[in-house]
Amino acid sequence: MKTLLKTGIITLLTFAAFLLSIPNANAQSNNETDKTYIKIDVDGLSCPFCAYGLEKKLKKINTVSNIEIYLKEGIAVFSVSKNQKPTKDTLKKIVTDAGFTPSGIVFSDKPFALKDEK
Amino acid sequence: MKNRYYFIIVLSVLILFASCSESKKNAKTPQNYQQTTEWKFSKEIKLDNISPLGIVAQGKFLWLSDVDNNRIVKINNEGKIVEEHEGFQRPMHIAIDSFKVYIPEYISDTVKILENGKVSNFSLKEKPDGIGGISVKGNIVAIADFYNHRVILQKEDNTIIIGKEGHNDGELYYPTDVEIKNNLIYVGDAYNNRVQVFDFKGNYVRMIGWNEGIKVATGLKVTDTQVIVADFDGNRVLVYDLYGKLLQILIDKFNKPTDIEVVGNIMYVVNYKSNTVEVYKK
Repeated sequence: MKTLLKTGIITLLTFAAFLLSIPNANAQSNNETDKTYIKIDVDGLSCPFCAYGLEKKLKKINTVSNIEIYLKEGIAVFSVSKNQKPTKDTLKKIVTDAGFTPSGIVFSDKPFALKDEK
Repeated sequence: MKNRYYFIIVLSVLILFASCSESKKNAKTPQNYQQTTEWKFSKEIKLDNISPLGIVAQGKFLWLSDVDNNRIVKINNEGKIVEEHEGFQRPMHIAIDSFKVYIPEYISDTVKILENGKVSNFSLKEKPDGIGGISVKGNIVAIADFYNHRVILQKEDNTIIIGKEGHNDGELYYPTDVEIKNNLIYVGDAYNNRVQVFDFKGNYVRMIGWNEGIKVATGLKVTDTQVIVADFDGNRVLVYDLYGKLLQILIDKFNKPTDIEVVGNIMYVVNYKSNTVEVYKK
C-alpha cells in the first residue's frame, strides 16, 4: 500500500513538473521570436578603442542585447526586441558617431551564423 | 730671435694637434651615446587567454588590462597570472600611483581604483566619453577623453580641459593615452598620428613623431630621458628624446602594440593581437 502511495506521489510530482515546464518553454520560444537580429558591416574596425567604442554606442539602443564585435571581419551583431527595432538611419547615425561608416546593415529574424574570431 | 719663432711654431703645432684630438673625442660622443641608449630585444612573455591593452609595473610584477575579458590581471615575468579582478567594463590604459592601480572603464566612463584587492570609485568632475587612458601623479589626474577629442586635467576641485577636435597644433583627434611627467602632459594623439605635449595650463608645447609617419599613436611611455611610442597599425615602437629627436625604431617583434612600461633598463611592450609582452633591455 505504502509503495503504491509513493509511486502515485512521484507520478503526480513528475506530471506537475512537466506541466510547469511547458509555459517556460513557450516563453523562451516567444522570447526568441520576439527578437530582431541586426548585422552591421563596418570598415576600419581594427583597434580595440574603435571596436569597443562601437559597442559603447550600440549599448544605447533600447532593448539591445548580445552585442558581439568581430574585429577581423569588421562586423557587429546584436539583437533587439522586435517592437523596438531601430531604423537603418538611426543605426547609421550611431555607427557614424562611433567614428565609422557602415557599409551594410542587415535585419533578420534568426541569429547570424558567424565564425568565432573576434 | 729665431729660437723664439721656432718656439711659437712648435707651440702652435702642439695646440693644433691637441685641439684636433679633442674634437675627435667629441665626434665619438654621439655614437657612444647611441650605443649606450639602444634598446635590445631580450625575450617574449606569452600570455594565456589574455588580450592585453594597458600595462603598469608594480615591484617584480606587471598589471595588464585584459580588455576583451573585462578584467585586470597581475602576472609574473613568465606570464603566469598571480592575481585577477573581473567585472571591469572594457578597461583600457591603466596607471599606478602609491600602490593604487587606476582603471578607466571605457564603457561606463568611470575610473576604478584597485588597492590591496579592493575596488573603489574615483570621482571625476567632468564627464568623459570613452576613457582611453589615465595618468596619476599625486593629486593630479589626466584623462584621455577619446570621443570628446580632449584631455581632462583634474587637480582636486580644479579642472582644465586640454585640446579640442582638430588636426592643428594643440588640437586632438581621438586621444588614447596620456602621461604626466616633469610638469608636462604627453598625449597619445592616436588618429593625428603623433604625440603632443602640453603644459599644466593647457598650452601647446611641442609635437613628437610627425616625421616618422606613425599610423596610430595608441600608447606611450615617458621616462626621464625618452618618449616611447607604440604605433598600433605600424607594428613598431619609436624611441625619441624628450624634445622629439628620433633615437631608435624597434620593429619585427610587434603585432598591434598598444602600451609600454619601463622599469629601470627594462622595457615591456604589450602586443594586443598576439597576446604577448615583448621585453627589451638596454
